[in-house]
Amino acid sequence: MSSESSKKRKPKVIRSDGAPAEGKRTRSDTEQEGKYYSEEAEVDLRDPGRDYELYKYTCQELQRLMAEIQDLKSRGGKDAAVEIEDRRIQSCVHFMTLKKLNRLAHIRLKKGRDQTHEAKQKVDAYHLQLQNLLYEVMHLQKEITKCLEFKSKHEEIDLVSLEEFYKEAPPDISKAEVTMGDPHQQTLARLDWELEQRKRLAEKYRECLSNKEKILKEIEVKKEYLSSLQPRLNSIMQASLPVQEYLFMPFDQAHKQYETARHLPPPLYVLFVQATAYGQACAHRKSSQPPRQDKMLSVAIEGSVDEAKALFKPPEDSQDDESDSDAEEEQTTKRRRPTLGVQLDDKRKEMLKRHPLSVLLDLKCKDGSALHLTFYYLMNLNIMTVKAKVTTAAELTTPISAGDLLSPDSVLSCLYPGDHGKKTPNPANQYQFDKVGILTLRDYVLDLGHPYLWVQKLGGLHFPKEQPQHTVITDHSLSASHMETTMKLLKTRVQSRLALHKQFASLEHGIVPVTSDCHYLFPAKVVSRLVKWVTIAHEDYTELHFTKDIVEAGLAGDTNLYYMALVERGTAKLQAAVVLNPGYSSIPPIFQLCLNWKGEKTNNNDDNIRAMESEVNVCYKELCGPRPGHQLLTNQLQRLCVLLDVYLETESHDDSVEGPKEFPQEKMCLRLFRGPSRIKPFKYNHPQGFFSHR
Amino acid sequence: MERAAQQAVPLGQMEVFQALQRLHMTIFSQSVSPCGKFLAAGNNYGQIAIFSLSAALSSEAKEESKKPMVTFHAHDGPVYSMVSTDRHLLSAGDGEVKAWLWAEILKKGCKELWRRQPPYRTSLEVPEINALLLVPKENLLILAGGDCQLHAMDLETGTFMWALRGHTDYIHCLALRERSPEVLSGGEDGAVRLWDLRTAKEVQTIEVYKHEECSRPHNGRWIGCLATDSDWMVCGGGPALTLWHLRSSTPTTVFPMRAPQKHVTFYQDLILSAGQGRCVNQWQLSGELKAQVPGSSPGLLSLSLNQQPAAPECKVLTAAGNSCRVDVFTNLGYRAFSLSF
Repeated sequence: MSSESSKKRKPKVIRSDGAPAEGKRTRSDTEQEGKYYSEEAEVDLRDPGRDYELYKYTCQELQRLMAEIQDLKSRGGKDAAVEIEDRRIQSCVHFMTLKKLNRLAHIRLKKGRDQTHEAKQKVDAYHLQLQNLLYEVMHLQKEITKCLEFKSKHEEIDLVSLEEFYKEAPPDISKAEVTMGDPHQQTLARLDWELEQRKRLAEKYRECLSNKEKILKEIEVKKEYLSSLQPRLNSIMQASLPVQEYLFMPFDQAHKQYETARHLPPPLYVLFVQATAYGQACAHRKSSQPPRQDKMLSVAIEGSVDEAKALFKPPEDSQDDESDSDAEEEQTTKRRRPTLGVQLDDKRKEMLKRHPLSVLLDLKCKDGSALHLTFYYLMNLNIMTVKAKVTTAAELTTPISAGDLLSPDSVLSCLYPGDHGKKTPNPANQYQFDKVGILTLRDYVLDLGHPYLWVQKLGGLHFPKEQPQHTVITDHSLSASHMETTMKLLKTRVQSRLALHKQFASLEHGIVPVTSDCHYLFPAKVVSRLVKWVTIAHEDYTELHFTKDIVEAGLAGDTNLYYMALVERGTAKLQAAVVLNPGYSSIPPIFQLCLNWKGEKTNNNDDNIRAMESEVNVCYKELCGPRPGHQLLTNQLQRLCVLLDVYLETESHDDSVEGPKEFPQEKMCLRLFRGPSRIKPFKYNHPQGFFSHR
Repeated sequence: MERAAQQAVPLGQMEVFQALQRLHMTIFSQSVSPCGKFLAAGNNYGQIAIFSLSAALSSEAKEESKKPMVTFHAHDGPVYSMVSTDRHLLSAGDGEVKAWLWAEILKKGCKELWRRQPPYRTSLEVPEINALLLVPKENLLILAGGDCQLHAMDLETGTFMWALRGHTDYIHCLALRERSPEVLSGGEDGAVRLWDLRTAKEVQTIEVYKHEECSRPHNGRWIGCLATDSDWMVCGGGPALTLWHLRSSTPTTVFPMRAPQKHVTFYQDLILSAGQGRCVNQWQLSGELKAQVPGSSPGLLSLSLNQQPAAPECKVLTAAGNSCRVDVFTNLGYRAFSLSF
């Protein structure tokens, strides 16, 4: 027990104060060095369990001691005090033990606390490490998914198909034995091949680019050369102008004309182009000859180009104007009646307005005469008209009977059968006319020109006919082109009119001009003479008693020209009423005869008069003379004189009448009569000079 | 008529020529087909047109049925004369006689079967044939015309057997006296001659112009037409139309007709004549004018009586002359319509 108390004291000293403990230590260094023990180390050696037993025991001892003291006190005796003293010493020892135990418990607590802290720190460090590692894992996982999700660019590349690859790629790229089983290697090889190919193509591309560059450069050089040529050519053109003029090759003019032609309305443009083309074609036909000034056909454009240009601008609401004026008209009819006529007049003028440009066509004949045609386009009526003028090389004396032959009004009449140019060919026009009170275009043709059908056709305008065509058109006019036919017709028309014009002059003086190349048609001696050649009106012709047949046959239309010829021999007078078709000389003049000799004889009562008519009318082809047959009319007249001679000379002589025959037979005839009709020998046989029957 | 002319469409070259041709057409000859239903007409241009009488006369006749069903070019000159045998159509004009088969014509295949030319003396002009006459009993065809002779042709062999000379100018017309086989011919020389076919000799000559009753010197001597009925003969032309008694060669009746007649024929107890002027004249034998029926032509040259028993419905009189129309008379007093070239 004593050892226990000594043990208990020492730590108490050390612990109670540091500095005095040092002093104590230094003081008891020598004596207490070996015996030093620290309560800390003692704690490790002691068993807490026993300490607890000790604590319990001490506490019990104390309680007993206390209880003995109390007991002693309560009995109070003299010995009690000693005993109490003893007891009190024992209690103190127990208190000492308790104190020691308390310290130990404290140390132990502290130690435990330290240990716990230490362990906690350790756990914390481990926890941190764990966290780091987890984070690292997560990051790595992310990286892995990223890698897994990575899309390679090669997937977008369109590769050649497998078969093709193995077929075409060289073995050092394809490496069939390696790549066949390994899709990765295969893809790599295919990509390699692709790369190879692309490299090649790139090479090619580069080459092509350089080629292109080269060619571009060449083009540039050539362009430069050409542009440098332009001013030189211009200067050459400029210089050649006088030469062109000198040689009559108006290339430049033509060019200018084409410029102007662009402003022509479509029908006139068509006409212009066609006519120019035809003119050139004609010129080429005789290209063996040097180019001449007197081209057969020349085309020109007349009129103001500016006005034509102005027409192209959109008109300012003409439709509105019209309706406005209509309304106005209705309103003002009552108030302003006198001005209505003026308004209508304006409207008519507007309706009949011509396009400012017109096409001029000059058709020249070999003898120097020319036909000038001016083509107009009536914009609102959509028809074309033509005005004609004939000029001749030499001045003509105008015979009275030739009045209408060359007049602009009739010179082109019926160029094609029935085409008299007095009616509008566009059926729509009639309604337009009704609106403004025009009865027929006939009243305006002198001013506007004639709207012949062929003019519309030349301009490419096509209108339906009013009645179905029942006249037969000959193959000739069908097969030939319209322009050519028309031009030829125009030319023959002018020539035949001019020929007629000349012939009429001598016919009026009673001379039948027979050209030398037609002499063979007639005997040398012709006694009957033409004494009169006058023009007569259509009405007068129809009223003649011996022309009924012609009128009934529809051969005496009002477009024809009518003449009366009188042939005389002695007392015999032969009247001949002549219908001259505008289509002369392809359509022959028609003669109707009336002989005044021993009574009046016509085809009705005398077969021979009928035969004479037939001789000139039906057998006209042998009288045409040399082509183009302009001598037909004069030859027919001369033939008529011969026929009259034959008729009179072969007339049977009445034996019962005294005296000589009035007309002795001078003509040589094989027979006087022939056939049931007792026709006289009207046919003249040229070289022998006798007359026979047809 | 005036109005029609105004409306008429002006014509082109071909149409004008055709119109002129029609206007100056003369139909010289006609012949009825053996069946009696068709009529052939020959004109001055050498064309022969075949008209169908049965179609034109039928109740549903249209304008087209009055046009020729076929037209063909037969001769170069006018077709002056035509006759029909029981199979053939014989046509003559410019010196030649041509034969056509009716059966083929009606099938519109117009090819000439044969052609014959009488033996002419050489001349500058080929003489025309003005008249053809069939002598059925002897199977002879007699041709007469420009060479003043009558030529007899055997239809069997086509040979010319003999020629009768006597006329001094060309012959206009022929007629047959059937009872005694004699042929009458009338010519430009003014004589009517009778020929005996058996002996081929001239029997009798009547110089008509020498008889004052009928002579008309201003018209000439020519005999244009001739018809005979046993002892009677009627002839006309330059001289007036006269009925003659042949045995006594005296003019019995002179018919009062001024215009020269070109065709005459006996019909029952009437005489039909036509010539200058529009009318077909019907005469009593006594010389009275029974009727004058106007036709459409200004002068007539031939009359044709269709008396074929095969086609009684086509029994008509047709007349043609100086126009392109053939007038059809359904009875003697009435012109029904005209056939037209």
